[in-house]
Amino acid sequence: MGYLFSGIEDPQTSLEWMIYLTNKYLKMFLDGTKLTLYIAVLGTILGFVLGYVIGIIQDMKSGEGDNVVKKIFVRILKMIAGAYVEVFRDTPMIVQAMIIYYGIRQLGVDMQPVFAGILVTLLNTGAYMAETVRAGIGSIDIGQREGAWAMGMSPMKTMLYIVLPQAFKNIIPEMANTFLTNLKMTSVLNVIAVQELFMAAKTVGGNYYKYFESYLVIAVIYFVLCFFFNKLFNMLEKKLKDKTDYALAVEYMDNQ
Amino acid sequence: MGETVISIKDLSKSFGKHEVLRKIDMDVNAGEIICIVGSSGSGKSTFLRCINKLERQSAGKILYHGKEIRDVQRDINEYRAKVGMVFQSFNLFNNMTVLQNCMICTRKVLRISKEEAFDRAINHLKEVGMAPYIHAKPFQLSGGQKQRVAIARSLCMNPEVLLFDEPTSALDPEMVGEVLNVMKELATTGLTMIIVTHEMAFARDVSTRTIFMDRGLVAEDAPPSELFTNPKNPRTREFLSRYLAG
Repeated sequence: MGYLFSGIEDPQTSLEWMIYLTNKYLKMFLDGTKLTLYIAVLGTILGFVLGYVIGIIQDMKSGEGDNVVKKIFVRILKMIAGAYVEVFRDTPMIVQAMIIYYGIRQLGVDMQPVFAGILVTLLNTGAYMAETVRAGIGSIDIGQREGAWAMGMSPMKTMLYIVLPQAFKNIIPEMANTFLTNLKMTSVLNVIAVQELFMAAKTVGGNYYKYFESYLVIAVIYFVLCFFFNKLFNMLEKKLKDKTDYALAVEYMDNQ
Repeated sequence: MGETVISIKDLSKSFGKHEVLRKIDMDVNAGEIICIVGSSGSGKSTFLRCINKLERQSAGKILYHGKEIRDVQRDINEYRAKVGMVFQSFNLFNNMTVLQNCMICTRKVLRISKEEAFDRAINHLKEVGMAPYIHAKPFQLSGGQKQRVAIARSLCMNPEVLLFDEPTSALDPEMVGEVLNVMKELATTGLTMIIVTHEMAFARDVSTRTIFMDRGLVAEDAPPSELFTNPKNPRTREFLSRYLAG
Protein backbone atom coordinates (compact mmCIF):
# COMPACT_ATOMS: atom_id res chain seq x y z
CA MET A 1 0.00 0.00 0.00
CA GLY A 2 3.06 2.23 -0.31
CA TYR A 3 1.61 3.98 -3.33
CA LEU A 4 -1.30 5.32 -1.30
CA PHE A 5 0.80 8.32 -0.47
CA SER A 6 3.35 8.33 -3.25
CA GLY A 7 0.57 8.45 -5.80
CA ILE A 8 -0.07 6.34 -8.84
CA GLU A 9 0.76 7.79 -12.25
CA ASP A 10 -0.56 4.99 -14.39
CA PRO A 11 -3.42 3.10 -12.69
CA GLN A 12 -4.25 -0.35 -14.11
CA THR A 13 -6.36 -2.40 -11.68
CA SER A 14 -9.63 -1.28 -10.11
CA LEU A 15 -7.93 -0.90 -6.75
CA GLU A 16 -5.31 1.33 -8.30
CA TRP A 17 -7.98 3.36 -9.99
CA MET A 18 -9.79 3.80 -6.67
CA ILE A 19 -6.63 5.09 -5.04
CA TYR A 20 -5.81 7.26 -8.01
CA LEU A 21 -9.25 8.84 -8.07
CA THR A 22 -9.29 9.30 -4.31
CA ASN A 23 -5.96 11.07 -4.39
CA LYS A 24 -6.78 13.21 -7.36
CA TYR A 25 -10.27 14.22 -6.22
CA LEU A 26 -9.69 14.10 -2.48
CA LYS A 27 -11.14 17.56 -1.95
CA MET A 28 -14.27 16.75 -3.92
CA PHE A 29 -14.88 13.55 -1.94
CA LEU A 30 -14.20 15.32 1.34
CA ASP A 31 -16.51 18.19 0.47
CA GLY A 32 -19.15 15.68 -0.58
CA THR A 33 -18.76 13.83 2.72
CA LYS A 34 -19.02 17.05 4.68
CA LEU A 35 -22.14 18.12 2.84
CA THR A 36 -23.73 14.68 3.22
CA LEU A 37 -23.07 14.79 6.96
CA TYR A 38 -24.25 18.39 7.20
CA ILE A 39 -27.56 17.70 5.49
CA ALA A 40 -28.10 14.42 7.30
CA VAL A 41 -27.34 15.82 10.77
CA LEU A 42 -29.26 19.08 10.37
CA GLY A 43 -32.16 17.49 8.51
CA THR A 44 -32.43 14.72 11.08
CA ILE A 45 -32.28 16.95 14.13
CA LEU A 46 -34.81 19.43 12.75
CA GLY A 47 -36.90 16.49 11.55
CA PHE A 48 -36.89 15.03 15.06
CA VAL A 49 -38.15 18.32 16.48
CA LEU A 50 -40.89 18.42 13.87
CA GLY A 51 -41.68 14.75 14.46
CA TYR A 52 -42.10 15.34 18.19
CA VAL A 53 -44.39 18.29 17.61
CA ILE A 54 -46.52 16.38 15.09
CA GLY A 55 -46.51 13.24 17.25
CA ILE A 56 -47.74 15.23 20.26
CA ILE A 57 -50.41 16.92 18.16
CA GLN A 58 -51.62 13.54 16.93
CA ASP A 59 -51.82 12.32 20.51
CA MET A 60 -53.86 15.35 21.65
CA LYS A 61 -57.35 14.72 22.88
CA SER A 62 -59.87 17.47 23.28
CA GLY A 63 -61.81 16.82 26.47
CA GLU A 64 -65.58 16.76 26.42
CA GLY A 65 -65.58 19.76 28.69
CA ASP A 66 -63.45 21.94 26.43
CA ASN A 67 -65.07 24.86 24.66
CA VAL A 68 -66.00 24.71 21.00
CA VAL A 69 -63.16 26.92 19.76
CA LYS A 70 -60.55 24.68 21.33
CA LYS A 71 -62.25 21.57 20.00
CA ILE A 72 -62.28 22.91 16.44
CA PHE A 73 -58.71 24.15 16.76
CA VAL A 74 -57.49 20.75 17.93
CA ARG A 75 -59.38 18.98 15.20
CA ILE A 76 -57.95 21.21 12.46
CA LEU A 77 -54.43 20.81 13.86
CA LYS A 78 -54.84 17.05 13.88
CA MET A 79 -56.16 17.04 10.33
CA ILE A 80 -53.20 19.04 9.05
CA ALA A 81 -50.76 16.84 10.95
CA GLY A 82 -52.42 13.69 9.66
CA ALA A 83 -52.41 14.88 6.05
CA TYR A 84 -48.76 15.89 6.25
CA VAL A 85 -47.67 12.52 7.65
CA GLU A 86 -49.72 10.64 5.07
CA VAL A 87 -48.41 12.62 2.07
CA PHE A 88 -44.74 12.37 3.02
CA ARG A 89 -44.88 8.71 3.97
CA ASP A 90 -46.68 7.73 0.79
CA THR A 91 -44.38 9.45 -1.75
CA PRO A 92 -40.71 8.76 -2.52
CA MET A 93 -38.15 11.20 -1.17
CA ILE A 94 -36.58 11.65 -4.60
CA VAL A 95 -39.92 12.85 -5.99
CA GLN A 96 -40.49 15.12 -2.98
CA ALA A 97 -37.08 16.65 -3.62
CA MET A 98 -37.94 17.47 -7.22
CA ILE A 99 -41.38 18.86 -6.39
CA ILE A 100 -40.20 21.01 -3.50
CA TYR A 101 -37.10 22.34 -5.24
CA TYR A 102 -38.70 23.14 -8.58
CA GLY A 103 -42.02 24.09 -7.05
CA ILE A 104 -40.50 26.74 -4.83
CA ARG A 105 -38.29 28.02 -7.67
CA GLN A 106 -41.39 28.36 -9.80
CA LEU A 107 -42.87 30.58 -7.14
CA GLY A 108 -39.98 32.91 -7.83
CA VAL A 109 -38.04 32.15 -4.65
CA ASP A 110 -34.34 31.60 -5.30
CA MET A 111 -33.56 28.61 -3.16
CA GLN A 112 -30.15 27.03 -2.75
CA PRO A 113 -30.11 23.27 -3.49
CA VAL A 114 -28.53 22.59 -0.09
CA PHE A 115 -31.35 24.42 1.64
CA ALA A 116 -33.90 22.46 -0.38
CA GLY A 117 -32.04 19.27 0.50
CA ILE A 118 -32.24 19.99 4.22
CA LEU A 119 -35.90 20.91 3.87
CA VAL A 120 -36.74 17.66 2.10
CA THR A 121 -34.79 15.60 4.62
CA LEU A 122 -36.40 17.26 7.61
CA LEU A 123 -39.92 17.00 6.20
CA ASN A 124 -39.38 13.35 5.39
CA THR A 125 -37.85 12.62 8.80
CA GLY A 126 -40.63 14.53 10.54
CA ALA A 127 -43.31 12.38 8.95
CA TYR A 128 -41.66 9.11 9.96
CA MET A 129 -40.67 10.38 13.40
CA ALA A 130 -44.23 11.55 14.08
CA GLU A 131 -45.41 7.96 13.82
CA THR A 132 -42.51 6.72 15.93
CA VAL A 133 -43.17 9.34 18.61
CA ARG A 134 -46.87 8.55 18.61
CA ALA A 135 -46.12 4.87 19.08
CA GLY A 136 -43.57 5.76 21.76
CA ILE A 137 -46.10 7.86 23.64
CA GLY A 138 -48.68 5.10 23.27
CA SER A 139 -46.30 2.57 24.79
CA ILE A 140 -46.16 4.49 28.09
CA ASP A 141 -48.66 3.08 30.56
CA ILE A 142 -51.66 5.37 31.10
CA GLY A 143 -51.06 5.09 34.84
CA GLN A 144 -47.97 7.29 34.45
CA ARG A 145 -50.19 10.09 33.22
CA GLU A 146 -52.96 9.48 35.72
CA GLY A 147 -50.40 9.66 38.52
CA ALA A 148 -49.44 13.15 37.40
CA TRP A 149 -52.97 14.31 36.57
CA ALA A 150 -54.22 13.19 39.96
CA MET A 151 -51.85 15.69 41.58
CA GLY A 152 -53.05 18.56 39.44
CA MET A 153 -50.42 18.51 36.73
CA SER A 154 -51.72 19.80 33.42
CA PRO A 155 -51.78 17.45 30.43
CA MET A 156 -49.08 19.52 28.68
CA LYS A 157 -46.69 19.42 31.64
CA THR A 158 -47.42 15.74 32.12
CA MET A 159 -46.41 15.16 28.53
CA LEU A 160 -43.24 17.20 28.97
CA TYR A 161 -41.98 15.90 32.31
CA ILE A 162 -43.41 12.40 32.57
CA VAL A 163 -44.37 10.90 29.23
CA LEU A 164 -41.85 12.29 26.73
CA PRO A 165 -38.70 11.48 28.73
CA GLN A 166 -39.85 7.87 28.96
CA ALA A 167 -40.99 7.70 25.35
CA PHE A 168 -37.70 9.29 24.24
CA LYS A 169 -35.72 6.54 25.86
CA ASN A 170 -37.81 3.87 24.18
CA ILE A 171 -37.40 5.32 20.70
CA ILE A 172 -33.67 6.06 20.75
CA PRO A 173 -32.90 2.94 18.66
CA GLU A 174 -35.48 4.05 16.11
CA MET A 175 -34.01 7.56 16.07
CA ALA A 176 -30.55 6.15 15.44
CA ASN A 177 -32.02 4.10 12.62
CA THR A 178 -33.64 7.14 11.09
CA PHE A 179 -30.37 9.05 11.16
CA LEU A 180 -28.50 6.23 9.40
CA THR A 181 -31.25 6.01 6.79
CA ASN A 182 -30.99 9.75 6.22
CA LEU A 183 -27.22 9.57 5.86
CA LYS A 184 -27.72 7.21 2.95
CA MET A 185 -30.87 8.85 1.58
CA THR A 186 -29.09 12.17 1.03
CA SER A 187 -27.70 10.47 -2.08
CA VAL A 188 -30.99 11.04 -3.87
CA LEU A 189 -30.50 14.79 -3.47
CA ASN A 190 -28.09 14.73 -6.44
CA VAL A 191 -31.22 15.10 -8.60
CA ILE A 192 -31.58 18.67 -7.39
CA ALA A 193 -27.87 19.32 -7.87
CA VAL A 194 -26.76 19.10 -4.26
CA GLN A 195 -23.00 18.48 -4.31
CA GLU A 196 -23.05 15.60 -1.83
CA LEU A 197 -21.16 12.31 -2.00
CA PHE A 198 -23.21 10.69 -4.74
CA MET A 199 -22.84 13.76 -6.93
CA ALA A 200 -19.10 13.73 -6.29
CA ALA A 201 -18.82 10.10 -7.41
CA LYS A 202 -20.93 10.80 -10.48
CA THR A 203 -18.70 13.69 -11.48
CA VAL A 204 -15.42 11.91 -10.77
CA GLY A 205 -16.56 8.74 -12.49
CA GLY A 206 -17.61 10.69 -15.56
CA ASN A 207 -14.19 12.31 -15.95
CA TYR A 208 -12.43 9.01 -16.64
CA TYR A 209 -15.40 6.83 -17.41
CA LYS A 210 -14.54 4.88 -14.25
CA TYR A 211 -17.98 4.67 -12.57
CA PHE A 212 -17.42 1.30 -10.89
CA GLU A 213 -14.28 2.48 -9.07
CA SER A 214 -15.67 5.89 -8.29
CA TYR A 215 -18.86 4.54 -6.70
CA LEU A 216 -16.82 1.95 -4.82
CA VAL A 217 -14.93 4.81 -3.20
CA ILE A 218 -18.10 6.44 -1.88
CA ALA A 219 -19.54 3.06 -0.90
CA VAL A 220 -16.54 2.69 1.42
CA ILE A 221 -17.08 6.21 2.76
CA TYR A 222 -20.81 5.59 3.41
CA PHE A 223 -19.98 2.28 5.05
CA VAL A 224 -17.33 3.74 7.35
CA LEU A 225 -19.61 6.63 8.36
CA CYS A 226 -22.58 4.38 9.12
CA PHE A 227 -20.41 1.83 10.92
CA PHE A 228 -18.95 4.57 13.10
CA PHE A 229 -22.31 6.12 13.97
CA ASN A 230 -23.84 2.72 14.63
CA LYS A 231 -21.17 1.96 17.21
CA LEU A 232 -21.58 5.42 18.71
CA PHE A 233 -25.34 5.00 19.12
CA ASN A 234 -24.89 1.56 20.64
CA MET A 235 -22.59 3.05 23.24
CA LEU A 236 -25.03 5.86 23.93
CA GLU A 237 -27.87 3.40 24.38
CA LYS A 238 -25.85 1.40 26.89
CA LYS A 239 -24.99 4.57 28.78
CA LEU A 240 -28.65 5.51 29.06
CA LYS A 241 -29.67 2.10 30.41
CA ASP A 242 -30.84 2.17 34.02
CA LYS A 243 -28.22 1.20 36.51
CA THR A 244 -29.35 -1.66 38.70
CA ASP A 245 -27.77 -0.35 41.88
CA TYR A 246 -28.37 2.80 43.86
CA ALA A 247 -26.84 4.38 46.93
CA LEU A 248 -28.80 4.22 50.17
CA ALA A 249 -29.06 7.65 51.71
CA VAL A 250 -27.45 6.62 55.00
CA GLU A 251 -27.91 10.09 56.46
CA TYR A 252 -31.60 9.27 56.79
CA MET A 253 -31.13 5.79 58.21
CA ASP A 254 -31.23 6.74 61.91
CA ASN A 255 -34.97 7.32 61.89
CA GLN A 256 -35.83 3.84 60.68
CA MET B 1 -67.65 16.37 62.53
CA GLY B 2 -66.07 19.12 60.46
CA GLU B 3 -67.51 21.11 57.61
CA THR B 4 -68.41 19.55 54.28
CA VAL B 5 -65.42 19.40 51.95
CA ILE B 6 -66.76 17.51 48.96
CA SER B 7 -70.43 17.18 48.04
CA ILE B 8 -71.44 14.68 45.43
CA LYS B 9 -74.82 15.38 43.90
CA ASP B 10 -76.74 12.90 41.74
CA LEU B 11 -73.53 11.49 40.30
CA SER B 12 -74.09 9.04 37.46
CA LYS B 13 -71.62 7.36 35.18
CA SER B 14 -72.23 5.11 32.20
CA PHE B 15 -69.78 3.38 29.91
CA GLY B 16 -71.86 3.15 26.77
CA LYS B 17 -75.10 1.47 27.76
CA HIS B 18 -73.63 0.07 30.94
CA GLU B 19 -74.66 2.14 33.96
CA VAL B 20 -71.89 1.93 36.54
CA LEU B 21 -72.99 4.62 38.98
CA ARG B 22 -76.60 5.55 39.54
CA LYS B 23 -77.35 8.91 41.09
CA ILE B 24 -75.04 8.85 44.05
CA ASP B 25 -75.46 11.53 46.70
CA MET B 26 -72.83 11.89 49.35
CA ASP B 27 -71.17 14.49 51.53
CA VAL B 28 -67.59 14.15 52.68
CA ASN B 29 -66.81 16.06 55.87
CA ALA B 30 -63.44 17.25 57.05
CA GLY B 31 -61.57 14.65 59.07
CA GLU B 32 -63.69 11.71 58.01
CA ILE B 33 -62.09 8.38 57.18
CA ILE B 34 -64.50 6.82 54.73
CA CYS B 35 -64.00 3.23 53.64
CA ILE B 36 -65.90 2.05 50.58
CA VAL B 37 -66.44 -1.69 50.37
CA GLY B 38 -68.41 -3.87 48.02
CA SER B 39 -68.00 -6.69 45.54
CA SER B 40 -66.08 -6.33 42.28
CA GLY B 41 -67.99 -4.44 39.65
CA SER B 42 -70.10 -2.55 42.15
CA GLY B 43 -68.64 0.76 40.94
CA LYS B 44 -66.35 1.57 43.89
CA SER B 45 -63.27 2.40 41.84
CA THR B 46 -65.23 4.28 39.20
CA PHE B 47 -66.83 6.32 41.96
CA LEU B 48 -63.42 7.23 43.38
CA ARG B 49 -62.05 8.06 39.94
CA CYS B 50 -65.05 10.31 39.34
CA ILE B 51 -64.32 12.13 42.59
CA ASN B 52 -60.81 12.89 41.29
CA LYS B 53 -62.23 13.68 37.83
CA LEU B 54 -60.17 10.98 36.18
CA GLU B 55 -63.53 9.82 34.87
CA ARG B 56 -65.97 12.41 33.70
CA GLN B 57 -69.38 11.88 35.20
CA SER B 58 -72.31 11.33 32.82
CA ALA B 59 -74.61 13.36 35.01
CA GLY B 60 -74.60 15.12 38.36
CA LYS B 61 -71.97 17.33 39.90
CA ILE B 62 -69.19 17.54 42.41
CA LEU B 63 -68.90 20.51 44.75
CA TYR B 64 -65.69 21.39 46.53
CA HIS B 65 -66.33 23.67 49.50
CA GLY B 66 -69.71 24.46 47.95
CA LYS B 67 -68.24 25.41 44.57
CA GLU B 68 -68.95 23.28 41.55
CA ILE B 69 -65.95 21.81 39.78
CA ARG B 70 -66.60 22.63 36.15
CA ASP B 71 -65.20 20.51 33.35
CA VAL B 72 -62.52 23.07 32.60
CA GLN B 73 -58.95 21.90 32.74
CA ARG B 74 -57.78 24.72 35.02
CA ASP B 75 -60.56 24.11 37.55
CA ILE B 76 -59.83 20.42 37.47
CA ASN B 77 -56.07 20.92 37.97
CA GLU B 78 -56.59 23.24 40.94
CA TYR B 79 -59.06 20.83 42.49
CA ARG B 80 -56.83 17.81 41.98
CA ALA B 81 -53.92 19.58 43.66
CA LYS B 82 -56.09 19.58 46.82
CA VAL B 83 -57.60 16.13 46.37
CA GLY B 84 -54.81 13.61 45.90
CA MET B 85 -55.05 10.02 44.85
CA VAL B 86 -53.14 6.82 45.58
CA PHE B 87 -53.51 4.08 42.99
CA GLN B 88 -53.62 0.32 43.09
CA SER B 89 -50.74 0.20 40.61
CA PHE B 90 -48.72 2.93 42.43
CA ASN B 91 -48.11 4.94 39.23
CA LEU B 92 -44.74 6.23 40.38
CA PHE B 93 -42.94 8.02 37.57
CA ASN B 94 -40.54 5.45 36.18
CA ASN B 95 -38.12 7.99 34.79
CA MET B 96 -37.46 9.57 38.18
CA THR B 97 -35.91 8.68 41.49
CA VAL B 98 -37.96 8.47 44.68
CA LEU B 99 -36.92 12.01 45.58
CA GLN B 100 -37.76 13.41 42.15
CA ASN B 101 -41.12 11.65 42.28
CA CYS B 102 -41.88 13.53 45.47
CA MET B 103 -40.65 16.88 44.22
CA ILE B 104 -41.85 17.18 40.62
CA CYS B 105 -45.46 18.08 41.35
CA THR B 106 -44.75 20.43 44.24
CA ARG B 107 -42.21 22.18 42.01
CA LYS B 108 -44.24 22.29 38.80
CA VAL B 109 -47.79 22.55 40.11
CA LEU B 110 -47.49 24.41 43.41
CA ARG B 111 -44.30 26.16 42.23
CA ILE B 112 -42.64 26.12 45.63
CA SER B 113 -38.88 26.58 45.97
CA LYS B 114 -36.46 23.72 45.52
CA GLU B 115 -35.45 23.85 49.19
CA GLU B 116 -39.01 23.73 50.41
CA ALA B 117 -39.91 20.94 48.00
CA PHE B 118 -36.91 18.98 49.21
CA ASP B 119 -37.81 19.48 52.88
CA ARG B 120 -41.38 18.42 52.28
CA ALA B 121 -40.29 15.35 50.35
CA ILE B 122 -37.81 14.25 53.02
CA ASN B 123 -40.31 14.82 55.83
CA HIS B 124 -43.04 12.79 54.20
CA LEU B 125 -40.64 10.09 53.08
CA LYS B 126 -39.48 9.82 56.68
CA GLU B 127 -43.09 9.43 57.78
CA VAL B 128 -43.50 6.41 55.54
CA GLY B 129 -40.01 5.10 56.30
CA MET B 130 -38.66 5.54 52.79
CA ALA B 131 -36.17 8.41 53.25
CA PRO B 132 -33.07 6.19 52.83
CA TYR B 133 -34.28 5.24 49.37
CA ILE B 134 -34.40 8.72 47.84
CA HIS B 135 -31.87 7.78 45.15
CA ALA B 136 -33.66 4.60 44.07
CA LYS B 137 -35.76 4.31 40.93
CA PRO B 138 -39.24 2.76 41.19
CA PHE B 139 -38.21 -0.50 39.49
CA GLN B 140 -35.70 -1.10 42.28
CA LEU B 141 -38.37 -1.08 44.99
CA SER B 142 -40.81 -3.70 46.25
CA GLY B 143 -44.54 -3.17 45.85
CA GLY B 144 -45.00 -2.12 49.46
CA GLN B 145 -42.13 0.35 49.21
CA LYS B 146 -43.53 1.80 46.00
CA GLN B 147 -46.92 2.31 47.57
CA ARG B 148 -45.40 4.02 50.60
CA VAL B 149 -43.49 6.37 48.28
CA ALA B 150 -46.71 7.02 46.35
CA ILE B 151 -48.42 7.98 49.61
CA ALA B 152 -45.55 10.30 50.55
CA ARG B 153 -45.66 11.83 47.09
CA SER B 154 -49.35 12.63 47.48
CA LEU B 155 -48.78 14.06 50.96
CA CYS B 156 -46.15 16.48 49.61
CA MET B 157 -48.99 18.37 47.90
CA ASN B 158 -50.54 19.03 51.34
CA PRO B 159 -53.87 17.68 50.13
CA GLU B 160 -57.09 18.29 51.97
CA VAL B 161 -58.49 14.94 50.93
CA LEU B 162 -56.62 11.82 49.93
CA LEU B 163 -58.30 9.12 47.86
CA PHE B 164 -57.04 5.53 47.94
CA ASP B 165 -58.03 3.18 45.14
CA GLU B 166 -57.47 -0.34 46.49
CA PRO B 167 -53.96 0.57 47.67
CA THR B 168 -53.07 -2.92 48.84
CA SER B 169 -54.72 -5.07 46.17
CA ALA B 170 -51.60 -5.36 44.02
CA LEU B 171 -49.33 -6.24 46.93
CA ASP B 172 -47.93 -9.54 48.13
CA PRO B 173 -49.63 -10.50 51.41
CA GLU B 174 -46.57 -9.76 53.53
CA MET B 175 -46.42 -6.19 52.24
CA VAL B 176 -50.04 -5.33 52.88
CA GLY B 177 -49.30 -4.68 56.56
CA GLU B 178 -46.62 -2.05 56.01
CA VAL B 179 -48.91 0.00 53.77
CA LEU B 180 -51.93 -0.35 56.05
CA ASN B 181 -49.80 0.74 59.01
CA VAL B 182 -48.80 3.90 57.17
CA MET B 183 -52.45 4.58 56.41
CA LYS B 184 -53.43 3.97 60.03
CA GLU B 185 -50.86 6.54 61.09
CA LEU B 186 -52.25 8.98 58.54
CA ALA B 187 -55.76 8.47 59.84
CA THR B 188 -54.68 9.89 63.19
CA THR B 189 -53.45 13.17 61.65
CA GLY B 190 -56.90 14.50 60.80
CA LEU B 191 -56.46 14.14 57.04
CA THR B 192 -59.71 13.39 55.25
CA MET B 193 -59.46 10.04 53.52
CA ILE B 194 -61.67 8.03 51.19
CA ILE B 195 -60.48 4.47 50.81
CA VAL B 196 -61.74 1.81 48.45
CA THR B 197 -60.60 -1.43 49.99
CA HIS B 198 -61.11 -5.15 50.38
CA GLU B 199 -59.42 -5.15 53.79
CA MET B 200 -62.48 -5.56 56.01
CA ALA B 201 -60.55 -5.56 59.29
CA PHE B 202 -58.89 -2.30 58.31
CA ALA B 203 -62.21 -0.74 57.32
CA ARG B 204 -63.76 -1.82 60.60
CA ASP B 205 -60.90 -0.56 62.77
CA VAL B 206 -59.87 2.65 61.04
CA SER B 207 -62.84 4.16 59.22
CA THR B 208 -65.21 6.61 60.86
CA ARG B 209 -67.81 5.76 58.25
CA THR B 210 -68.18 2.73 56.02
CA ILE B 211 -70.03 2.68 52.75
CA PHE B 212 -71.25 -0.47 51.12
CA MET B 213 -71.71 -0.10 47.39
CA ASP B 214 -73.85 -2.44 45.36
CA ARG B 215 -74.64 -2.26 41.63
CA GLY B 216 -73.75 1.42 41.32
CA LEU B 217 -75.64 2.56 44.38
CA VAL B 218 -74.72 3.39 47.95
CA ALA B 219 -76.56 0.53 49.57
CA GLU B 220 -75.56 1.34 53.11
CA ASP B 221 -73.73 4.22 54.75
CA ALA B 222 -73.08 3.81 58.46
CA PRO B 223 -70.41 3.91 61.15
CA PRO B 224 -68.35 0.71 60.95
CA SER B 225 -69.56 -0.42 64.36
CA GLU B 226 -73.08 -0.62 62.94
CA LEU B 227 -72.35 -1.73 59.40
CA PHE B 228 -70.15 -4.64 60.41
CA THR B 229 -72.16 -5.89 63.37
CA ASN B 230 -75.71 -5.04 62.44
CA PRO B 231 -76.09 -4.41 58.70
CA LYS B 232 -79.53 -3.13 57.70
CA ASN B 233 -79.40 -4.01 54.04
CA PRO B 234 -79.74 -7.71 53.13
CA ARG B 235 -77.14 -7.24 50.36
CA THR B 236 -74.65 -5.95 52.90
CA ARG B 237 -75.32 -8.90 55.13
CA GLU B 238 -74.83 -11.29 52.25
CA PHE B 239 -71.59 -9.60 51.21
CA LEU B 240 -70.17 -9.54 54.72
CA SER B 241 -71.08 -13.12 55.47
CA ARG B 242 -69.33 -14.21 52.29
CA TYR B 243 -66.26 -12.25 53.35
CA LEU B 244 -66.21 -13.39 56.92
CA ALA B 245 -66.81 -17.00 55.88
CA GLY B 246 -64.07 -16.86 53.25
